[in-house]
Formats: sequence, structure tokens, C-alpha cells
Amino acid sequence: MTNTAADRPLEGGLLTLAGVRYQYAGASDWALDGVDLSVEAGRVLAVVGPNDAGKSTLALVASGLAPLAVGGRLEGSVLLGGHETRGLAAHEAAQRCGILFQNPSTQLSGTAHTVWEEVAFGPRNVGLGLAEIVERVEGSLAALRIEHLAPRDPARLSGGQAQLVALASVLALRPRCLALDEPTSQLDPEGTRLVGEAIRRLAGDLGSAILVTEHKTALLERVADTAIALRDGTVVARGTVREVLDDPELVGLGVDPPPAVRLRRALAAAGVPADVRGRALAALTTLDAPGGAEARG
Amino acid sequence: MRGWTGPLVVLAIVVVTATVTRIGRAMRPFVLATIPLIASILLVNTFLYPGAEDVLFRLGPLAATGTGLTEALQAGLRVVAFALSVAVFSLTTPTDDLLADLERRGVGRRGVFVVGSAIRTIPRMAERAGEIVEAQRARGLDTEGSWLRRIRGILPLAGPMILGAVTDVEERTVALEARAFSAPARRTVIRPIPDSPPERAVRWIAGLGAVTLVVLGIAGVLRLP
Amino acid sequence: MSIRVDVEGVAFTYPGGTEALAGVDLVIPPGRRIAIVGQNGSGKSTLVRHLNGLLRPTAGRVLLDGADTAGRHVADLARTVGLVFQNPDRQLFSGSARAEVAFGPRNLGRRGTDLEAAVDRALVAVGLHGAAWTNPYDLGFSRRKLLALASILAMETPIVILDEPTTGQDAGGVARIQSIVAKLAADGRTVVAISHDLRFVAETFERVVVMRAGRIVLDGAPAQVFDAPNWETLASTYLEPPLVARLGRALGAGSTPTETALVEALHARRRPVP
Repeated sequence: MTNTAADRPLEGGLLTLAGVRYQYAGASDWALDGVDLSVEAGRVLAVVGPNDAGKSTLALVASGLAPLAVGGRLEGSVLLGGHETRGLAAHEAAQRCGILFQNPSTQLSGTAHTVWEEVAFGPRNVGLGLAEIVERVEGSLAALRIEHLAPRDPARLSGGQAQLVALASVLALRPRCLALDEPTSQLDPEGTRLVGEAIRRLAGDLGSAILVTEHKTALLERVADTAIALRDGTVVARGTVREVLDDPELVGLGVDPPPAVRLRRALAAAGVPADVRGRALAALTTLDAPGGAEARG
Repeated sequence: MRGWTGPLVVLAIVVVTATVTRIGRAMRPFVLATIPLIASILLVNTFLYPGAEDVLFRLGPLAATGTGLTEALQAGLRVVAFALSVAVFSLTTPTDDLLADLERRGVGRRGVFVVGSAIRTIPRMAERAGEIVEAQRARGLDTEGSWLRRIRGILPLAGPMILGAVTDVEERTVALEARAFSAPARRTVIRPIPDSPPERAVRWIAGLGAVTLVVLGIAGVLRLP
Repeated sequence: MSIRVDVEGVAFTYPGGTEALAGVDLVIPPGRRIAIVGQNGSGKSTLVRHLNGLLRPTAGRVLLDGADTAGRHVADLARTVGLVFQNPDRQLFSGSARAEVAFGPRNLGRRGTDLEAAVDRALVAVGLHGAAWTNPYDLGFSRRKLLALASILAMETPIVILDEPTTGQDAGGVARIQSIVAKLAADGRTVVAISHDLRFVAETFERVVVMRAGRIVLDGAPAQVFDAPNWETLASTYLEPPLVARLGRALGAGSTPTETALVEALHARRRPVP
């Protein structure tokens, strides 16, 4: 899968947080206390950390919706495609960075009869022409491989399918960046797999800059390029996803390392000979990658 | 014939419309819903009509009067006519078309959204209510015992419902903003409702006709039914 | 204290006509830890609702310690069977975590210091004792889930049923739930859990029941149920055996449903794997 990010100018598609501190309205402490990060076009940044570390807040701030839609106080700068979110209106931010939450059902508008109408909700809101709307809806459905869901009733979908529809409806506004907040937390293994594949595809095919917060480190290992670990609103580790998930401090942080890392440590601790270890981990890599080794794009 | 023309004409229109659109069957619940009201109208007016002298029969201390009965039947007929015309309206107008058309004519998107989503919320809320009842029963809330015990269940049952609805609203609001709901642009119409000149003509005639009748009635030129 | 559960030929059809259980036979000896797995629609949730009377079988019966649940109110069965639902927000209504946890045991007739002690024990078990006076909605979702669990633990029922206890939990939360399950079993209570996290299931439970289309298709220890001979059956229920089980077989290390089992098997082998 070719990475088209190289063909794209650096501005646009870039998500940057610099010295970001955020406080919810009416709160006394900072939910985010000095966060710097950067996600390039076509790349996926994983955010790990225990619950209450500020992962959800980070997603809201990255999308601009905090403070634009939920209020609160923001210090530092959030740049979407090179533009500050500070002066924007909520609907403008929505077109630069989309956001997906844990709960599939509260994200559906509840007014659409079909998935097609649901995905058209966003483009309609900004008053696009009918031809443009059709193109966007069909493009979003195709990007997520859910064209077959177009005539279905959004209220009657499985969790995984509903999440993909919610994602498509956000994509229809053609944001360059995406913030996904524990998108698979309420889903079963099948739903998790669907969303994981979609994330990979969006980064690869559309060149989106994606930020994903998740507990499922096995999933993150597969779909993310870089990672940061968050605790109490600050970044305590950063690097490639492999580096971060391999960090021995992670367990102390309350983050469960992926199977390969756990197994390697357990085998070493039990004194299993190196060649057996090597063979086991090699076999694990073959088993774990869906359909064999997947090109990282 | 004075008291009968109004409701009978309306009923005739309703019957014709229902036959043509084949919604006769679907009207049954609406008709059934009027029965308690009509029953009470009949009883009250037949037996208790003030000043009526033409007694038909007696039932204990109460006397059924011809005047009372006539008034009762007229009033009952008016109720049925009204209920059935409402039925015809709601059975022949898909809510979404109505809302889409209102929006096209300039009713704000928020109002339309609230009404549209409220209607679809009902089955979801019913399902949620069921889940709440189950969860609280599993904690020993007695929903099968005496009514006194059941009253204690109000807070544990209503509480999660209301709190859940409030949290829901917060989450939904953010999700709407993420879909540019507050954009100032005029929302694009994707399902145009066909409107032909004859239909427009009928609407104008019916509207003007109704206003004229009322004015003439108030002015005393026409006697109100 | 320990109660034996007998599900005898239970069938259940919803009023709309959907057959959710097509004849289930299950015996749970007292004090066991058992997980029920299967796709959505396999009948797992329907089955557990029969254990506390929320649903009544259209055929067959459910016995708790030999006594038929028929004719007993749900509020009465709640003394024996505690059921923690998946979504905590469908039950939270109190102003404080303490008050929330006290609701269940109070309904069962506990009062005064006895009640307070039960509430304290439950809050400590889920790690929320420090947040006893916090409003439940000021807690994050995963802690609200733990609060819902505490509200059932405080009822101190001989049987505890958990519906998807680990969704939304971080590693700390999952570990806490595992230790709660172990403690319940150590106290002689029966624990039944519905879960789609097969790793959690293999590590925490001694018996796994796999359901498909309203029937039980596999029933045994994790080492047996997740072993190669059953993979085809598991695939037919759209379940994938835990990664380490597949790895163990690939390495010729036998049936290894958990990481611990795999590591032990590889460590025990003196010669390298062919």
C-alpha cells in the first residue's frame, strides 16, 4: 500500500498540540497539563494510559470540540492543518478534525431512516449541493467498505456496524484529521476487527492524520505508527508504537502490554531457552497478523 | 338539521378520503379511542340536560330527555368527526415528509431535529426503561408486591431514566456539533416533496373557505352549527 | 451458603415469537466459577435472566438448591442470585456511591451497622472506598461499572452473575475484577460471567460454556474447550480461540489456554520444538 503522504505538502493533514493545558468548565484542576504531540498525514498516533489519565479529554481537545462545543479553558495551541482552532466556530473545527466516541448509539443523529441519510447529515448541515453530498456520502461509505449498509436502518445495526456508520458520517465532512476515543471499547472482537481495519485504511488510502486512544494494545500495535503514554494529563512516554508498548514502565501505569511483549517477558522470566523463545515469538507474529504480515503503508 | 350539518359534512369527507386512501382499517384505534368520551357525553347529556322537558324514560331519580339525547348525539358526532379528521391527517402524512417540508419552508433546523428525534426516541426510551426495571429488580426492588412497596420504586426507576436522558443529551449535543449541526448555512433538502398546482389550489381554497365561514358565522350572517 | 444451580430442559420464546433458548441443560455445582460465551443472540443473556427470575421458562425449569424458581418473586430470588448488568447507567440513581451500594442490601432487609459494614466491604473490594461520598456520575464510566458491581457484592448473594464485566475497563480494572472473582469463589460463592473476552475467560474461570442459537454446544474446562479439536465448533459460533491456545498448538506444546500454561509447557520441555 503506497503512502501518499509523501506527495502531500506538509501543511494540511497535520495535527499538532503545543504546550496544551485544558480545564473543564467548573473544574478546579487541569485535565491536560502540558501536552505536546504531532501526527502527520497518513499516520496513526496511539494514546495509552489508565482511565482518568485524560485520554478522552485529549481526543476532545485535539478535535477542537473542547473548548469550542463543551466550554472550559484551553491554553497552548491546537493546530489542525496548520490553522489554530482557537478562533474557529465548532462547525468549522468539525470539518477539519472529526471525532468518534465509545458509544455508537449516541452518535447517530436518530433522525435518519437509512444509513445513507445518516451519513448525509453532516454535509447537509453545511449546505452543500446535492451532487456534492451524493459524492461525499458514497465516498465515505466506500472508504469504510460499508456500501452494503446504505439502505439499512441505523438503529438496527450491530455495535461494530454502528461505529463504522458514525465514522462515515464524520468522514463525510472530509476532515484531514481524526480523533478516535476508545472506538472499540463497547464492541465485541468482530466489531473491534472491523474498526481496526478501517483505521488502517483511512490512514493509508485517505492520508488522514489519526489519533486513537485505546486500552487494547494488541490492536494499537497493529494499526498505529507512533504512540504516547498519558498519566494525570501529561505525556510520560513517547516514540514508535513498538518502543512505547515495550516500555517496562507501562505495566506500572496500568496499561496492559500486547501479547508479544507479555509473552517475551514471561518466557524470559521463566528461564525458557532463547531459541525456544525465538521460535515462539516468530510463531506468534505469524498467528497474530490478520491474513499474514500486513504492510504498514 | 342545524346541529348535524357540520359534523356530517366532515364525516363524509373523512369517509371519502379514507376509502380512496385505503386507511379505513388503520383508523380503528382512533375510533376506539373516542368511545369513553362519547359514552360519557351520551350519559351526561341524555340524563342531565338542564331545562329539558320531553322525558323519554326514567331510570331511578334520573330522567332521559329527548332534547338531551339529541344534543348528546350531535356532540358525539362532532367528537367523532374531529377525531377522524385528525386520524386522516396523521395517517396520510409521513412525519418525515412533514418535518422535511417544514424545514424547507424555514422552520429552524433545531426545532425540526427536536421533534424528529423525539419521535424516534420513544422506542429507544421504552427499551431503556425495560433495562432499568430489570436492573433494579435484580437488586431486590419489589415490583410485584403491595402498592405501597411499589411506590418506593419511583426514584430507583425514574432516577436512572432522567439521569440517563440528561447524560444522553450532553453526549448527543457534542456528537451533533461534530457533524457541523450549528453551521449557519441553509440545510440542503434531499427529499423534495412534490407539490402540484391543483394541490396548492385546494389548500388555498380550503384555507380561505374556512376563514370565510368563521367570519360569516361570527358576523351572524351564517348560523353556527 | 453455597447453592447448586440446575437448569433442566429450559426453553424460552419471546412474546414476539423469537426462540431464544432451545432446550438448555446445565448443572452448576456450588461455589464454581463458570463463564458463558457466544455471539450476540446465542442466548447467553436470556439464560442468566432465568436464574434470577427476570424471565420464566416457556418449558423446563430452574432449580436453586433443589427448589424451583417458579412461584418465587424476583425480589425474593435476589437474595440468592445477584446479577450485575453491563451498563451501570441503567441503575445508578443515588447522590453518593455509599447510598447506591446500600440500595440492594437494604431491599433485602439489612439495616444499621450490619448494612454499613456490608457497604464498606463492597466499596473496599472494588477500590471505591475513598470515593464513598462522590456522586456516581462524577465517576468515570469504568468506575461506575465497578460501583454497579459493588452494589451487587454488598447483597452478599451465594450466586453472583456478571454481564460483560471487563468492557471499558483498563488493565487495573480487569485485574481487580479477577481478584474479586477469586475471592467470591474462595468464600464458596458461585460466579457466573458472560464475556466476549476469551483471554479473561481462560485466565479467570474453571469452566466455559459455549452457546449458539439457544443451545449449549461446548461445556468444559478452558484447556479443553479452547483446544484444537474444538476449534471448528468455536468457528461455527464466530468465536476465535485465545491467541495463546493457537500458539501452543502451533508450537506442539499441547493445550495452553492461558499465557501461564504456555510458558509452563515451553519451560517444561527439555528439547527444542521440532
